[in-house]
Amino acid sequence: MNLGLVSDSPCDLPADLIARYQIEVVPAMLIIAGTSYRDGIDITREAFYARLPALKTPPTTAAPSPLDFANRYRKLLAAGAEHVLAIFTAARLTSIPAIARQAAEEFPGQVTVLESGSLSLGIGFQVLAAAEAREAGQPLAEILATVRSTRSRLKVAAALDTMDYLRRSGRVPAAITALGGLLNIRPVVELREGLILPLALARTTQNATRQLLHALLGLGALERLTILHTGAEARARGFLSLLANAPGLPEQIGIVNVTTVIGTHVGPNGLGFAAVRSKA
Amino acid sequence: MPKASFDGLALKELVEAGLAWLRTNQQTVNALNVFPVPDGDTGTNMLLTMQSAYAEIANSGQRNAGQMAAAVAQGALMGARGNSGVILSQLWRGFARGLHGHETIDAATLAHAFAEARDTAYKGVVRPVEGTILTVSKDIAAAAQTATTDDPVEMLRIIVAAADKSVENTPELLPILKQAGVVDSGGKGLFFILEGMLRQIDGQSLDAPLISVQPLSAMNLENALEDVEAGQDWEVVVDFRPKNGFELRSFYEQLESMGTSIQVGEGEGMYRMHIHVPLENRYKPIEYVMELGTITKVAIENLLAQMDELQAGTGAPTLELTNVEAGQIAVVAVSPGTGLSRIFASLGVSALVAGGQTMNPSTKDFLDAFDNLPTDKIIILPNNKNIILAANQAKGVTVKQVYVVPSKTIPQGLAAMLHFDPESDVEKVAGKMSRALDSIITGEITVATRSVEIDGVTVREGQVIGLLNGKLAVAAETVEAACLQLLEKAEAVTYELITLFYGSDLSPAEANRIADLLQKKYPEQEVEVQEGGQPHYQFIISIE
Repeated sequence: MNLGLVSDSPCDLPADLIARYQIEVVPAMLIIAGTSYRDGIDITREAFYARLPALKTPPTTAAPSPLDFANRYRKLLAAGAEHVLAIFTAARLTSIPAIARQAAEEFPGQVTVLESGSLSLGIGFQVLAAAEAREAGQPLAEILATVRSTRSRLKVAAALDTMDYLRRSGRVPAAITALGGLLNIRPVVELREGLILPLALARTTQNATRQLLHALLGLGALERLTILHTGAEARARGFLSLLANAPGLPEQIGIVNVTTVIGTHVGPNGLGFAAVRSKA
Repeated sequence: MPKASFDGLALKELVEAGLAWLRTNQQTVNALNVFPVPDGDTGTNMLLTMQSAYAEIANSGQRNAGQMAAAVAQGALMGARGNSGVILSQLWRGFARGLHGHETIDAATLAHAFAEARDTAYKGVVRPVEGTILTVSKDIAAAAQTATTDDPVEMLRIIVAAADKSVENTPELLPILKQAGVVDSGGKGLFFILEGMLRQIDGQSLDAPLISVQPLSAMNLENALEDVEAGQDWEVVVDFRPKNGFELRSFYEQLESMGTSIQVGEGEGMYRMHIHVPLENRYKPIEYVMELGTITKVAIENLLAQMDELQAGTGAPTLELTNVEAGQIAVVAVSPGTGLSRIFASLGVSALVAGGQTMNPSTKDFLDAFDNLPTDKIIILPNNKNIILAANQAKGVTVKQVYVVPSKTIPQGLAAMLHFDPESDVEKVAGKMSRALDSIITGEITVATRSVEIDGVTVREGQVIGLLNGKLAVAAETVEAACLQLLEKAEAVTYELITLFYGSDLSPAEANRIADLLQKKYPEQEVEVQEGGQPHYQFIISIE
């Protein structure tokens, strides 16, 4: 069917895939010292991570306006889409799905808004699954089933360089950010249905990387995998090389420098992955 | 005609005498330390264990010897501190087992009881080491077995002689003792307990004011504060260099006529005298010492004012221990300082037992901690090699499900806590925590309490020394030099993170100054400074 696809900038899909599948990506807003930037448009990720550690006032993030979403829906419908499927960042972490849903009320029955329960490629993989199902000629009900299936097999985890950004984000229960408390701790966390859960605590980058690798290799065969980092390309490449002989991995494994509005809340020098387990 | 047997009351008297004689010789036993560090004091640990043993029977009028011995064993078990205390408690347990059902003790029963004591003690240790208190218990039992006397007093005399000989022989069995030029401290402690019993029977004094001179650096004047006697509320400390012909015995006798809490330290020709005196006598010790030599330093303080200050200073920040619910796992950790306690608490520890190098907690301290936790699943982090045995003993006594994660150092304990999960299966979690112990390197910086050559390192008393994973590694003149040498020896450059936990002897400013210095030397490594608050150790260092 002629299905229009919409997501938000935290989906972290690479530009070539966005172009190929004609996905409308709504940029979230980043605010640094009173100045607003459109995520991925007005500020590059490289520039952002270079500045982040030195920023006196921590940056904040904001959802786009309902109008930003309505404009995308209208554009796709006007271009001939029979329906619009929009998949966004977890509702537990942002108001984006709520605002996008509000914007959809203007187009009754024409727009389906899903919250991904995830972040970064955790969103992106669900959008990709929808795009591929659309390309395979599936009807909307089947496309939605494919997205649900992808979501149920998703695992997103990260080894953060510090707990500080997570603590400041206000998006994680104090019980978790208090872990380690007085010591400098590098937490290894998992994002599950919009909840950030601790997987392990480490004091050194090396140990944290090992814990993350352990979490990844424990998943078994994978359908999709992307290595994520926050301004730590070398660390991501190093991690990828650790996977060299691991069985059951997809042919293509991407490396993505996570977008600024996520980086704001997890901090620089983080390493992570988004993976979709193969169907049993 | 000698007594043919001891009854319960006679045994009680002997236990009291053993305790008294051990107390008199406590510092002598403490000084028998292989490492020149202020380590878990064997004499103190054994004394505290014996005190607990005697407290159990202090009010008892039990005439049955077997039952009296059982009570002593119970008290020793509850109060056992440190490795030597735990083994001592096991000796008592076996001894009591050997006396079970005996109303009185004759020579043959005594020999049998010492054989049981030996067997129980050996069984209580995973890898028995010869040249220790275990060997002494073995030699005693052997001597008793071959003795032909039917007089229990003669039997005791034979036992004491065998203990003495066995202790003197320990350096031949344990090379590290020979290297350090000492006999085994635990064995010596056992000897003093037995000798005290014999001295009691022979009518010899148990509290003869022995003259004991300790190394200057080992003088612990803070502890002296605890026993301020009424009217003796001025503390006088005088450092001096004596003239020729200085006579220690008459010096002691003169001091005893002036005051209490007398301590004398010596090092490199210097003496330090410490005494508590009444207000009107506060200049007397100084005038007296002036006759004996050259005074280099004098300090006079009002102890009562000092005590008030100490009490006012106890408004320490409160600890936020992790709440635990029934069914969850609770961690009980041993911590030697407030800063470390706070860090352990922040990592999810539910109960803290105070203790460390110089104060080993007792079995009962652990049991009290267990009792206060609303869960049956408990993991212990002893955080010191001398406390592991007491932790295991506590595990053996309680009905709760306890796992001991055998952390030998603070950094090991912290590394283990990173793998703690209160919700998971307790055996699995304990296994995971145990596997984390070796992931870390521990450094310790302290001041040598005497001169020695050990592990190929020559140390002069008063030098700053560094231990690497419990082994003497470096000796230097300053704390910072010792830190630098230690890190080099640890090949810190190949690691990522160096965490310095500074002790109570070091100011935060000084700790940070040294940390900055280390950071300059190791620009690739992360150097973190934390308040540890531990006594005697300027730094505990984790390298990972």
